[in-house]
Amino acid sequence: MSGTCIISTIDLNLWYHRKHALQSVSMRIPRNKVTALIGPSGCGKSTLLRCFNRLNDLIDDVKITGTILLDDQEIHAPGTDVVTLRKKVGMVFQKPNPFPKSIRENVAYGPKVHGVADRSELDRIVEESLRHAALWDEVKDRLDDSALGLSGGQQQRLCIARTLAVEPEVILMDEPCSALDPIATAKIENLIDELRKEYTVIIVTHNMQQAARVSDYTGFMYLGRLIECGKTKQIFEHPAEELTENYITGRFG
Amino acid sequence: MAEKFHTELKKLRKDTVAMAQFGRSMLRDATDALVRQDRDLAESVVARKGEIHTREVDLEERCYQLIALYQPMAKDMRVIACTLKVITASMRIGRYGKVIANIVKEIAERPQISPTMSLAHNSHMMSIPHMAELVIDMIDDAIAAYDIESETNIADFNARDDTIDALRHSIFREGITHMMEDPRSITRCTHYIMVARYLERCADHACKIAENVHYMETGERIEIH
Repeated sequence: MSGTCIISTIDLNLWYHRKHALQSVSMRIPRNKVTALIGPSGCGKSTLLRCFNRLNDLIDDVKITGTILLDDQEIHAPGTDVVTLRKKVGMVFQKPNPFPKSIRENVAYGPKVHGVADRSELDRIVEESLRHAALWDEVKDRLDDSALGLSGGQQQRLCIARTLAVEPEVILMDEPCSALDPIATAKIENLIDELRKEYTVIIVTHNMQQAARVSDYTGFMYLGRLIECGKTKQIFEHPAEELTENYITGRFG
Repeated sequence: MAEKFHTELKKLRKDTVAMAQFGRSMLRDATDALVRQDRDLAESVVARKGEIHTREVDLEERCYQLIALYQPMAKDMRVIACTLKVITASMRIGRYGKVIANIVKEIAERPQISPTMSLAHNSHMMSIPHMAELVIDMIDDAIAAYDIESETNIADFNARDDTIDALRHSIFREGITHMMEDPRSITRCTHYIMVARYLERCADHACKIAENVHYMETGERIEIH
Protein backbone atom coordinates (compact mmCIF):
# COMPACT_ATOMS: atom_id res chain seq x y z
CA MET A 1 0.00 0.00 0.00
CA SER A 2 2.76 2.43 0.91
CA GLY A 3 4.17 2.03 -2.60
CA THR A 4 1.27 3.79 -4.24
CA CYS A 5 -0.30 5.71 -1.41
CA ILE A 6 1.67 8.03 0.88
CA ILE A 7 -1.10 9.43 3.06
CA SER A 8 -4.42 7.92 3.86
CA THR A 9 -7.18 8.99 6.16
CA ILE A 10 -9.76 6.61 7.56
CA ASP A 11 -13.01 7.93 8.98
CA LEU A 12 -11.41 11.25 9.90
CA ASN A 13 -13.58 13.63 11.89
CA LEU A 14 -12.66 17.05 13.20
CA TRP A 15 -14.57 19.48 15.38
CA TYR A 16 -13.73 23.14 15.99
CA HIS A 17 -15.50 23.55 19.29
CA ARG A 18 -18.98 22.38 18.27
CA LYS A 19 -18.58 22.78 14.54
CA HIS A 20 -18.18 19.40 12.85
CA ALA A 21 -15.69 20.60 10.20
CA LEU A 22 -14.60 17.25 8.78
CA GLN A 23 -17.09 14.43 8.65
CA SER A 24 -15.88 10.90 8.17
CA VAL A 25 -13.30 11.67 5.53
CA SER A 26 -11.60 8.60 4.08
CA MET A 27 -9.13 9.43 1.39
CA ARG A 28 -5.95 8.05 -0.14
CA ILE A 29 -3.25 10.38 -1.45
CA PRO A 30 -1.13 8.72 -4.16
CA ARG A 31 2.64 9.05 -3.94
CA ASN A 32 4.47 11.30 -6.42
CA LYS A 33 1.23 12.68 -7.76
CA VAL A 34 -0.47 16.04 -7.45
CA THR A 35 -3.78 15.86 -5.64
CA ALA A 36 -6.07 18.87 -5.66
CA LEU A 37 -8.77 19.58 -3.09
CA ILE A 38 -11.63 21.70 -4.37
CA GLY A 39 -14.92 22.85 -2.94
CA PRO A 40 -16.78 25.97 -1.86
CA SER A 41 -15.43 28.16 0.94
CA GLY A 42 -15.82 26.59 4.33
CA CYS A 43 -16.13 23.03 2.99
CA GLY A 44 -13.14 21.85 5.04
CA LYS A 45 -10.47 21.53 2.38
CA SER A 46 -7.92 23.71 4.18
CA THR A 47 -8.78 22.01 7.47
CA LEU A 48 -8.13 18.62 5.87
CA LEU A 49 -4.84 19.89 4.42
CA ARG A 50 -3.77 21.15 7.82
CA CYS A 51 -4.49 17.75 9.36
CA PHE A 52 -1.74 16.20 7.28
CA ASN A 53 1.03 17.96 9.22
CA ARG A 54 -0.98 18.47 12.42
CA LEU A 55 -1.19 22.23 12.06
CA ASN A 56 -4.64 22.05 13.65
CA ASP A 57 -2.88 21.10 16.91
CA LEU A 58 -2.04 24.78 17.24
CA ILE A 59 -5.72 25.74 17.48
CA ASP A 60 -7.56 25.54 20.79
CA ASP A 61 -10.64 23.41 21.21
CA VAL A 62 -10.04 21.09 18.28
CA LYS A 63 -11.05 17.46 18.54
CA ILE A 64 -9.93 14.90 15.99
CA THR A 65 -11.04 11.28 15.67
CA GLY A 66 -10.14 8.70 13.07
CA THR A 67 -6.86 7.76 11.49
CA ILE A 68 -4.27 9.58 9.41
CA LEU A 69 -1.47 7.39 8.12
CA LEU A 70 1.74 8.76 6.65
CA ASP A 71 3.80 5.94 5.19
CA ASP A 72 1.57 3.56 7.16
CA GLN A 73 2.39 5.31 10.45
CA GLU A 74 -0.38 6.94 12.47
CA ILE A 75 0.65 10.60 12.78
CA HIS A 76 -1.24 11.04 16.06
CA ALA A 77 0.45 8.03 17.69
CA PRO A 78 2.04 8.78 21.05
CA GLY A 79 5.70 9.58 20.61
CA THR A 80 5.27 11.07 17.12
CA ASP A 81 7.69 13.96 16.78
CA VAL A 82 5.68 16.80 15.27
CA VAL A 83 8.86 18.60 14.15
CA THR A 84 9.93 15.53 12.18
CA LEU A 85 6.40 15.18 10.82
CA ARG A 86 6.41 18.78 9.59
CA LYS A 87 9.83 18.21 8.05
CA LYS A 88 8.38 15.32 6.09
CA VAL A 89 5.21 17.21 5.28
CA GLY A 90 6.07 20.78 4.33
CA MET A 91 3.64 23.56 3.71
CA VAL A 92 3.28 26.59 1.46
CA PHE A 93 0.64 29.13 2.41
CA GLN A 94 -1.74 31.37 0.54
CA LYS A 95 0.24 34.54 1.07
CA PRO A 96 4.01 34.38 0.63
CA ASN A 97 5.49 34.62 4.11
CA PRO A 98 9.28 34.86 3.86
CA PHE A 99 11.19 35.58 7.04
CA PRO A 100 12.50 39.17 7.21
CA LYS A 101 15.96 37.87 6.49
CA SER A 102 18.16 37.38 3.45
CA ILE A 103 17.21 35.01 0.66
CA ARG A 104 20.01 32.66 1.71
CA GLU A 105 18.96 32.64 5.35
CA ASN A 106 15.34 31.95 4.46
CA VAL A 107 16.31 28.75 2.67
CA ALA A 108 19.04 27.70 5.12
CA TYR A 109 16.82 28.26 8.16
CA GLY A 110 15.15 24.84 8.11
CA PRO A 111 18.30 22.76 7.58
CA LYS A 112 20.00 24.73 10.38
CA VAL A 113 17.13 23.97 12.76
CA HIS A 114 17.53 20.32 11.82
CA GLY A 115 21.22 20.43 12.68
CA VAL A 116 23.10 21.15 9.45
CA ALA A 117 25.98 23.44 10.43
CA ASP A 118 28.53 22.97 7.66
CA ARG A 119 28.70 26.16 5.57
CA SER A 120 29.44 24.46 2.25
CA GLU A 121 26.68 21.91 2.87
CA LEU A 122 24.26 24.76 3.59
CA ASP A 123 25.36 26.53 0.39
CA ARG A 124 24.71 23.35 -1.55
CA ILE A 125 21.24 22.99 -0.03
CA VAL A 126 20.43 26.65 -0.74
CA GLU A 127 21.45 26.37 -4.39
CA GLU A 128 19.72 23.05 -4.95
CA SER A 129 16.50 24.17 -3.28
CA LEU A 130 16.42 27.45 -5.21
CA ARG A 131 17.08 25.58 -8.44
CA HIS A 132 14.28 23.13 -7.67
CA ALA A 133 11.98 26.06 -6.99
CA ALA A 134 12.96 27.63 -10.35
CA LEU A 135 14.26 30.73 -8.60
CA TRP A 136 18.04 30.26 -8.68
CA ASP A 137 18.73 32.13 -11.92
CA GLU A 138 16.77 35.14 -10.72
CA VAL A 139 18.44 35.45 -7.29
CA LYS A 140 21.87 33.82 -7.51
CA ASP A 141 23.65 37.19 -7.57
CA ARG A 142 21.78 38.64 -4.60
CA LEU A 143 21.45 35.80 -2.12
CA ASP A 144 22.26 38.12 0.75
CA ASP A 145 19.62 40.69 -0.16
CA SER A 146 16.45 40.80 1.90
CA ALA A 147 13.80 38.32 0.82
CA LEU A 148 11.22 41.07 1.28
CA GLY A 149 12.64 42.82 -1.79
CA LEU A 150 11.46 40.01 -4.06
CA SER A 151 8.23 40.20 -6.05
CA GLY A 152 5.18 38.29 -4.77
CA GLY A 153 5.71 35.42 -7.20
CA GLN A 154 9.41 35.22 -6.33
CA GLN A 155 8.59 35.28 -2.61
CA GLN A 156 6.18 32.38 -3.10
CA ARG A 157 8.84 30.39 -4.95
CA LEU A 158 11.27 31.25 -2.15
CA CYS A 159 8.75 29.80 0.31
CA ILE A 160 8.63 26.66 -1.83
CA ALA A 161 12.46 26.55 -1.85
CA ARG A 162 12.40 26.92 1.94
CA THR A 163 10.04 23.96 2.14
CA LEU A 164 12.21 21.88 -0.21
CA ALA A 165 15.38 22.65 1.78
CA VAL A 166 14.41 20.19 4.52
CA GLU A 167 13.77 17.43 1.97
CA PRO A 168 10.11 16.76 2.60
CA GLU A 169 8.16 13.87 1.13
CA VAL A 170 4.92 15.76 0.85
CA ILE A 171 4.29 19.43 0.07
CA LEU A 172 1.00 20.93 1.12
CA MET A 173 -0.06 24.04 -0.74
CA ASP A 174 -2.96 26.13 0.49
CA GLU A 175 -4.10 28.42 -2.34
CA PRO A 176 -0.47 29.07 -3.34
CA CYS A 177 -1.37 31.30 -6.29
CA SER A 178 -4.32 33.27 -5.00
CA ALA A 179 -2.16 36.31 -4.18
CA LEU A 180 -0.22 36.16 -7.45
CA ASP A 181 -0.65 37.60 -10.93
CA PRO A 182 -1.18 35.28 -13.93
CA ILE A 183 2.50 35.21 -14.91
CA ALA A 184 3.68 34.32 -11.42
CA THR A 185 0.82 31.81 -11.22
CA ALA A 186 1.99 30.13 -14.43
CA LYS A 187 5.51 29.83 -12.97
CA ILE A 188 4.20 28.19 -9.81
CA GLU A 189 2.07 25.83 -11.88
CA ASN A 190 5.09 24.85 -13.99
CA LEU A 191 6.98 24.31 -10.78
CA ILE A 192 4.26 22.04 -9.38
CA ASP A 193 4.51 20.05 -12.59
CA GLU A 194 8.25 19.59 -11.97
CA LEU A 195 7.85 18.85 -8.26
CA ARG A 196 5.65 15.80 -8.84
CA LYS A 197 8.71 13.89 -10.08
CA GLU A 198 10.22 13.85 -6.60
CA TYR A 199 7.49 14.86 -4.22
CA THR A 200 3.86 14.32 -3.46
CA VAL A 201 1.92 17.57 -3.74
CA ILE A 202 -1.47 18.27 -2.21
CA ILE A 203 -2.95 21.58 -3.29
CA VAL A 204 -6.03 23.39 -2.10
CA THR A 205 -7.40 25.76 -4.71
CA HIS A 206 -10.50 27.77 -5.44
CA ASN A 207 -9.50 27.91 -9.05
CA MET A 208 -10.99 24.85 -10.70
CA GLN A 209 -9.16 25.42 -13.94
CA GLN A 210 -5.94 25.41 -11.96
CA ALA A 211 -6.92 22.15 -10.28
CA ALA A 212 -7.72 20.70 -13.69
CA ARG A 213 -4.38 21.88 -15.11
CA VAL A 214 -1.97 20.87 -12.39
CA SER A 215 -3.40 17.84 -10.64
CA ASP A 216 -3.51 14.12 -11.34
CA TYR A 217 -6.21 13.45 -8.77
CA THR A 218 -8.96 15.69 -7.44
CA GLY A 219 -11.10 15.50 -4.33
CA PHE A 220 -14.31 17.49 -4.13
CA MET A 221 -15.43 18.49 -0.64
CA TYR A 222 -18.74 19.90 0.47
CA LEU A 223 -19.90 20.81 3.98
CA GLY A 224 -17.09 18.88 5.63
CA ARG A 225 -17.55 15.72 3.60
CA LEU A 226 -15.43 14.30 0.82
CA ILE A 227 -18.06 13.87 -1.88
CA GLU A 228 -15.92 12.42 -4.61
CA CYS A 229 -12.28 11.71 -5.25
CA GLY A 230 -10.77 10.37 -8.43
CA LYS A 231 -8.65 11.04 -11.45
CA THR A 232 -8.78 14.71 -12.37
CA LYS A 233 -9.77 14.01 -15.97
CA GLN A 234 -12.75 11.99 -14.83
CA ILE A 235 -13.83 14.50 -12.17
CA PHE A 236 -13.80 17.43 -14.59
CA GLU A 237 -15.08 15.62 -17.66
CA HIS A 238 -17.64 13.33 -16.18
CA PRO A 239 -18.04 13.41 -12.40
CA ALA A 240 -19.93 10.54 -10.79
CA GLU A 241 -21.79 12.68 -8.24
CA GLU A 242 -24.40 15.25 -9.09
CA LEU A 243 -23.12 17.58 -6.36
CA THR A 244 -19.69 17.62 -8.00
CA GLU A 245 -21.25 18.25 -11.40
CA ASN A 246 -23.29 21.13 -10.01
CA TYR A 247 -20.28 22.68 -8.31
CA ILE A 248 -17.83 22.48 -11.17
CA THR A 249 -20.38 23.73 -13.68
CA GLY A 250 -21.02 26.75 -11.46
CA ARG A 251 -24.60 25.87 -10.53
CA PHE A 252 -23.82 26.63 -6.90
CA GLY A 253 -20.95 27.69 -4.67
CA MET B 1 -21.75 34.77 -14.23
CA ALA B 2 -22.68 31.10 -14.19
CA GLU B 3 -26.27 32.06 -14.89
CA LYS B 4 -25.22 34.17 -17.85
CA PHE B 5 -23.14 31.27 -19.15
CA HIS B 6 -26.05 28.85 -18.92
CA THR B 7 -28.38 31.30 -20.66
CA GLU B 8 -25.82 31.69 -23.46
CA LEU B 9 -25.34 27.93 -23.68
CA LYS B 10 -29.08 27.36 -23.97
CA LYS B 11 -29.32 29.91 -26.74
CA LEU B 12 -26.31 28.39 -28.50
CA ARG B 13 -28.00 24.99 -28.49
CA LYS B 14 -31.25 26.42 -29.79
CA ASP B 15 -29.46 28.15 -32.66
CA THR B 16 -27.43 25.03 -33.39
CA VAL B 17 -30.65 23.03 -33.71
CA ALA B 18 -31.92 25.69 -36.11
CA MET B 19 -28.72 25.48 -38.14
CA ALA B 20 -28.91 21.68 -38.24
CA GLN B 21 -32.49 21.96 -39.51
CA PHE B 22 -31.34 24.47 -42.10
CA GLY B 23 -28.68 22.02 -43.36
CA ARG B 24 -31.24 19.24 -43.32
CA SER B 25 -33.68 21.39 -45.37
CA MET B 26 -30.96 21.93 -48.00
CA LEU B 27 -30.58 18.17 -48.38
CA ARG B 28 -34.34 17.59 -48.30
CA ASP B 29 -35.03 20.19 -50.99
CA ALA B 30 -32.11 18.99 -53.11
CA THR B 31 -33.39 15.42 -53.16
CA ASP B 32 -36.94 16.65 -53.82
CA ALA B 33 -35.61 18.75 -56.69
CA LEU B 34 -33.84 15.69 -58.02
CA VAL B 35 -36.95 13.51 -57.91
CA ARG B 36 -39.12 16.21 -59.51
CA GLN B 37 -36.37 17.55 -61.76
CA ASP B 38 -37.18 20.95 -60.33
CA ARG B 39 -34.45 23.32 -61.44
CA ASP B 40 -35.81 26.32 -59.52
CA LEU B 41 -35.82 24.44 -56.25
CA ALA B 42 -32.27 23.29 -56.97
CA GLU B 43 -31.27 26.91 -57.59
CA SER B 44 -32.74 27.93 -54.25
CA VAL B 45 -30.71 25.24 -52.46
CA VAL B 46 -27.48 26.43 -54.08
CA ALA B 47 -28.34 30.00 -53.05
CA ARG B 48 -28.45 28.93 -49.38
CA LYS B 49 -24.77 28.01 -49.17
CA GLY B 50 -23.75 31.49 -48.01
CA GLU B 51 -26.30 31.46 -45.22
CA ILE B 52 -25.21 28.10 -43.81
CA HIS B 53 -21.57 29.17 -43.90
CA THR B 54 -22.42 32.37 -42.01
CA ARG B 55 -24.29 30.38 -39.38
CA GLU B 56 -21.43 27.91 -39.04
CA VAL B 57 -18.89 30.68 -38.42
CA ASP B 58 -21.16 32.50 -35.99
CA LEU B 59 -21.97 29.41 -33.92
CA GLU B 60 -18.36 28.21 -33.83
CA GLU B 61 -17.26 31.66 -32.67
CA ARG B 62 -19.80 31.53 -29.88
CA CYS B 63 -18.52 28.09 -28.78
CA TYR B 64 -14.95 29.36 -28.69
CA GLN B 65 -16.02 32.44 -26.79
CA LEU B 66 -17.83 30.41 -24.14
CA ILE B 67 -14.76 28.20 -23.74
CA ALA B 68 -12.44 31.19 -23.47
CA LEU B 69 -14.60 33.19 -21.08
CA TYR B 70 -15.99 30.49 -18.82
CA GLN B 71 -13.70 27.42 -19.15
CA PRO B 72 -16.65 25.06 -18.86
CA MET B 73 -16.40 21.74 -17.09
CA ALA B 74 -18.22 18.40 -17.02
CA LYS B 75 -21.58 18.37 -18.84
CA ASP B 76 -21.21 22.00 -19.89
CA MET B 77 -17.90 21.16 -21.54
CA ARG B 78 -19.38 18.09 -23.21
CA VAL B 79 -22.34 20.11 -24.52
CA ILE B 80 -19.96 22.55 -26.22
CA ALA B 81 -17.78 19.73 -27.58
CA CYS B 82 -20.88 18.05 -28.99
CA THR B 83 -22.23 21.34 -30.34
CA LEU B 84 -19.03 21.95 -32.32
CA LYS B 85 -19.42 18.52 -33.91
CA VAL B 86 -23.10 19.09 -34.65
CA ILE B 87 -22.24 22.38 -36.35
CA THR B 88 -19.64 20.68 -38.57
CA ALA B 89 -21.94 17.76 -39.40
CA SER B 90 -24.82 20.12 -40.24
CA MET B 91 -22.57 22.18 -42.48
CA ARG B 92 -21.47 19.05 -44.34
CA ILE B 93 -25.06 17.83 -44.74
CA GLY B 94 -26.05 21.24 -46.12
CA ARG B 95 -23.10 21.20 -48.52
CA TYR B 96 -24.03 17.76 -49.81
CA GLY B 97 -27.49 19.23 -50.44
CA LYS B 98 -25.84 21.94 -52.50
CA VAL B 99 -23.75 19.42 -54.44
CA ILE B 100 -26.86 17.33 -55.22
CA ALA B 101 -28.70 20.51 -56.26
CA ASN B 102 -25.86 21.26 -58.70
CA ILE B 103 -26.25 17.78 -60.15
CA VAL B 104 -29.99 18.47 -60.64
CA LYS B 105 -29.08 21.63 -62.56
CA GLU B 106 -26.55 19.79 -64.67
CA ILE B 107 -28.96 16.98 -65.55
CA ALA B 108 -31.65 19.53 -66.43
CA GLU B 109 -29.32 21.22 -68.87
CA ARG B 110 -28.75 18.01 -70.80
CA PRO B 111 -31.11 17.44 -73.73
CA GLN B 112 -33.40 14.47 -73.62
CA ILE B 113 -31.74 11.78 -75.66
CA SER B 114 -34.90 9.95 -76.56
CA PRO B 115 -38.59 10.33 -75.97
CA THR B 116 -38.36 7.54 -73.47
CA MET B 117 -35.63 9.27 -71.50
CA SER B 118 -38.03 11.03 -69.19
CA LEU B 119 -39.40 7.67 -68.23
CA ALA B 120 -35.85 6.37 -68.00
CA HIS B 121 -35.08 9.16 -65.58
CA ASN B 122 -37.46 7.71 -63.07
CA SER B 123 -36.48 4.12 -63.47
CA HIS B 124 -32.77 4.95 -63.36
CA MET B 125 -33.22 6.83 -60.07
CA MET B 126 -33.40 3.36 -58.60
CA SER B 127 -33.76 3.46 -54.80
CA ILE B 128 -32.50 7.03 -54.41
CA PRO B 129 -35.85 8.56 -53.27
CA HIS B 130 -36.28 5.76 -50.72
CA MET B 131 -32.69 6.10 -49.53
CA ALA B 132 -33.11 9.87 -49.20
CA GLU B 133 -36.18 9.36 -46.98
CA LEU B 134 -34.26 7.02 -44.67
CA VAL B 135 -31.24 9.35 -44.47
CA ILE B 136 -33.39 12.38 -43.70
CA ASP B 137 -35.20 10.40 -41.00
CA MET B 138 -31.82 9.62 -39.43
CA ILE B 139 -30.83 13.30 -39.58
CA ASP B 140 -34.15 14.31 -37.98
CA ASP B 141 -33.67 11.78 -35.18
CA ALA B 142 -30.07 12.87 -34.59
CA ILE B 143 -31.06 16.54 -34.38
CA ALA B 144 -33.94 15.71 -32.02
CA ALA B 145 -31.62 13.64 -29.82
CA TYR B 146 -29.29 16.64 -29.50
CA ASP B 147 -32.19 18.99 -28.93
CA ILE B 148 -34.08 17.07 -26.24
CA GLU B 149 -31.06 15.20 -24.83
CA SER B 150 -32.60 11.80 -25.42
CA GLU B 151 -31.00 8.80 -27.05
CA THR B 152 -34.21 6.86 -27.60
CA ASN B 153 -34.45 7.55 -31.34
CA ILE B 154 -30.77 7.03 -32.09
CA ALA B 155 -30.36 3.70 -30.30
CA ASP B 156 -30.85 1.76 -33.56
CA PHE B 157 -28.47 3.86 -35.68
CA ASN B 158 -26.04 1.00 -36.26
CA ALA B 159 -28.72 -1.06 -38.00
CA ARG B 160 -30.09 1.94 -39.88
CA ASP B 161 -26.63 2.87 -41.10
CA ASP B 162 -26.16 -0.72 -42.33
CA THR B 163 -29.35 -0.37 -44.38
CA ILE B 164 -28.05 2.86 -45.92
CA ASP B 165 -24.73 1.22 -46.81
CA ALA B 166 -26.58 -1.69 -48.42
CA LEU B 167 -28.74 0.70 -50.44
CA ARG B 168 -25.72 2.59 -51.69
CA HIS B 169 -24.15 -0.66 -52.78
CA SER B 170 -27.29 -1.80 -54.53
CA ILE B 171 -27.66 1.55 -56.35
CA PHE B 172 -24.06 1.27 -57.47
CA ARG B 173 -24.59 -2.20 -58.93
CA GLU B 174 -27.90 -1.30 -60.51
CA GLY B 175 -26.40 1.84 -61.99
CA ILE B 176 -23.57 -0.14 -63.60
CA THR B 177 -26.14 -2.53 -65.06
CA HIS B 178 -28.10 0.37 -66.62
CA MET B 179 -24.93 1.85 -68.06
CA MET B 180 -23.99 -1.44 -69.69
CA GLU B 181 -27.47 -1.80 -71.13
CA ASP B 182 -27.61 1.72 -72.54
CA PRO B 183 -24.38 3.74 -72.75
CA ARG B 184 -26.42 6.93 -73.24
CA SER B 185 -27.37 6.65 -69.57
CA ILE B 186 -23.76 6.70 -68.37
CA THR B 187 -23.65 10.38 -67.41
CA ARG B 188 -26.99 10.30 -65.65
CA CYS B 189 -26.32 7.05 -63.81
CA THR B 190 -22.88 8.23 -62.75
CA HIS B 191 -24.55 11.26 -61.20
CA TYR B 192 -27.04 9.03 -59.40
CA ILE B 193 -24.29 6.81 -58.07
CA MET B 194 -22.61 9.95 -56.76
CA VAL B 195 -25.87 11.10 -55.16
CA ALA B 196 -26.16 7.74 -53.41
CA ARG B 197 -22.64 8.19 -52.13
CA TYR B 198 -23.43 11.71 -50.84
CA LEU B 199 -26.56 10.43 -49.11
CA GLU B 200 -24.53 7.69 -47.48
CA ARG B 201 -22.06 10.31 -46.22
CA CYS B 202 -24.96 12.35 -44.81
CA ALA B 203 -26.09 9.28 -42.87
CA ASP B 204 -22.54 9.01 -41.53
CA HIS B 205 -22.78 12.60 -40.34
CA ALA B 206 -26.07 11.76 -38.62
CA CYS B 207 -24.21 8.88 -36.92
CA LYS B 208 -21.44 11.29 -35.87
CA ILE B 209 -24.06 13.54 -34.28
CA ALA B 210 -25.53 10.50 -32.51
CA GLU B 211 -22.09 9.45 -31.21
CA ASN B 212 -21.52 12.94 -29.85
CA VAL B 213 -24.96 13.13 -28.25
CA HIS B 214 -24.08 9.91 -26.43
CA TYR B 215 -20.82 11.50 -25.28
CA MET B 216 -22.67 14.65 -24.23
CA GLU B 217 -25.10 12.62 -22.17
CA THR B 218 -22.81 10.03 -20.62
CA GLY B 219 -19.18 11.14 -21.06
CA GLU B 220 -18.53 7.81 -22.82
CA ARG B 221 -17.31 7.28 -26.35
CA ILE B 222 -19.08 4.93 -28.72
CA GLU B 223 -18.58 4.19 -32.39
CA ILE B 224 -21.45 3.84 -34.81
CA HIS B 225 -20.02 2.39 -37.98
